[in-house]
Amino acid sequence: MIDRKIRLRKIRNRLVGHAALGVICNLLAWYSLSAAQGFSLLEHWQRNIGLFFVFILLPGIFLIFTNWSQARSAVSDMWAFGQRSFEDISRELATRKAIEEDIKDAKPYINVMHNQIGDSLADSEREVMGVIEQIGILNAKANHQREHIAQSIKNGLELTANTELRVQNNKEIIAAIELQLTMQTDEFRSNFERIQGMAGEVGALTPLIKVITSIAQQTSLLALNAEIEAARAGSAGKGFSVVAFEVRKLAVASTKAAADIAEKIRATCKRVEEERVQALESLEQHEASSAMTQLVSDLGDMQVEFCKNSQLLLEVITEVDANYAESVTRLVEALGHIQFQDVMRQRMEHVQQALEQMRDHLLQLSDIANCPGWDCQFQTTFKSLLEAHLSQYKMASQTVTHLAVAGGKTDSDHSHPAIELF
Amino acid sequence: MTIMIVDDSATMLMSLKTGLTLSGFKVEEANCGQAALDKLKTGVKPDLILTDINMPGMTGLELIGKIRVLPGFRFTPILTLTTESEASKRAEGKRLGATGWLVKPLAGNDLIKVIKQVLPGA
Repeated sequence: MIDRKIRLRKIRNRLVGHAALGVICNLLAWYSLSAAQGFSLLEHWQRNIGLFFVFILLPGIFLIFTNWSQARSAVSDMWAFGQRSFEDISRELATRKAIEEDIKDAKPYINVMHNQIGDSLADSEREVMGVIEQIGILNAKANHQREHIAQSIKNGLELTANTELRVQNNKEIIAAIELQLTMQTDEFRSNFERIQGMAGEVGALTPLIKVITSIAQQTSLLALNAEIEAARAGSAGKGFSVVAFEVRKLAVASTKAAADIAEKIRATCKRVEEERVQALESLEQHEASSAMTQLVSDLGDMQVEFCKNSQLLLEVITEVDANYAESVTRLVEALGHIQFQDVMRQRMEHVQQALEQMRDHLLQLSDIANCPGWDCQFQTTFKSLLEAHLSQYKMASQTVTHLAVAGGKTDSDHSHPAIELF
Repeated sequence: MTIMIVDDSATMLMSLKTGLTLSGFKVEEANCGQAALDKLKTGVKPDLILTDINMPGMTGLELIGKIRVLPGFRFTPILTLTTESEASKRAEGKRLGATGWLVKPLAGNDLIKVIKQVLPGA
């Protein structure tokens, strides 16, 4: 009985010793964990009093009031559990620290994305302004051209009016020149006909020369015969011989005169013929060449053509002016589409604000985990942030996108038309 | 006819100025509400004012209210050209004296048509 009591006491002492050792080991482990987390042992005890009871106090009590094998088993289990808890807590701490570090890295990440959007907007704005500037330059040049065109229209109208007036005046001059040319032609023809008539009359004298010559020759022959007969009559025919001689002299003189006349008539015929040929050539040249007539005719045609082309030019200029007006309409339309850049800028600026909110919220989450006495209540959540956007949107398109992705309801009314006059 | 455009966006100012000039209007521009008010007070007398709503500093709605109490601007047409399409803002604009509410983006020729509708002589 005494041995049993002694043995039991020894066992109890050992149990108490083990329990005390267990408590000390756990306290040391607890201290290490507290130090690793940056808390004091007391704070850690306060935070984890439940675990303290489970892992330290209860096992100790249990060890005191049970037998050795059960106690050893319990202590062994407790030790193993303690070790697992230590590893889990260490892992949890490492994970939390890594998450904290990563969340802190979200700040430069979001800042970079925020600035990427900002820079893109700045680039977009710069390029759009470049486009508008080019449109402005184009317009300035087009406007300059338009002024030229307007001046051209004015000049064209004046030119057409002047041309028509000159053409009207020139028509009268051309008619006078044509009349003059016709009269000249008639005169040439008349001269030619007169010379030709004269040539005919002169030519008609040629047979008379033959008659005169024949008469003179026959008279000369007759005088010769008379002289022969007078010579045969002797002294009785002396007087007759004188007459016959005189007649033969007259016949010779007549023959000579006839030859002279014939020669002069031939010369006259020749000259008249030359005049006739020359008059004919002049008439033919005047009628055939008709250069002046052609010139006058061409001048008339040219003026008509010029009038027609002036009208055509006027139509072209008017069409160019109409096209310019059409270009202006299209440029104004294109400039209206450029408002899209401003719409996009405002949507992107809203996204930038959302990114800033997300960044700030993540940093708050990171800080809250290390804040002692945190009541596990978030002042702001992603859900509340997202819902708040619904009332901040300016455009119907923003609301539509939001509701399509995240659902929800909004009191905003974007149903009015784009143009509303009060 | 002269149109004053008020917008904090440089692209909007430039595109509106170019479009309106192309359409034969003379343009006065201001990049904020205060600048617009200063111009109006110094004698600029536009036939129509076209203003944005969401601007830093003075909003377009505040600007409309302040223009309406300026002498000589009680009946000057004021159109808004804004991305803001919320009905309550429109109602406030109407109450403050806006002549019409135009939502961006608006086709360039639609804008000219509305201006000619508001300014029959244009």
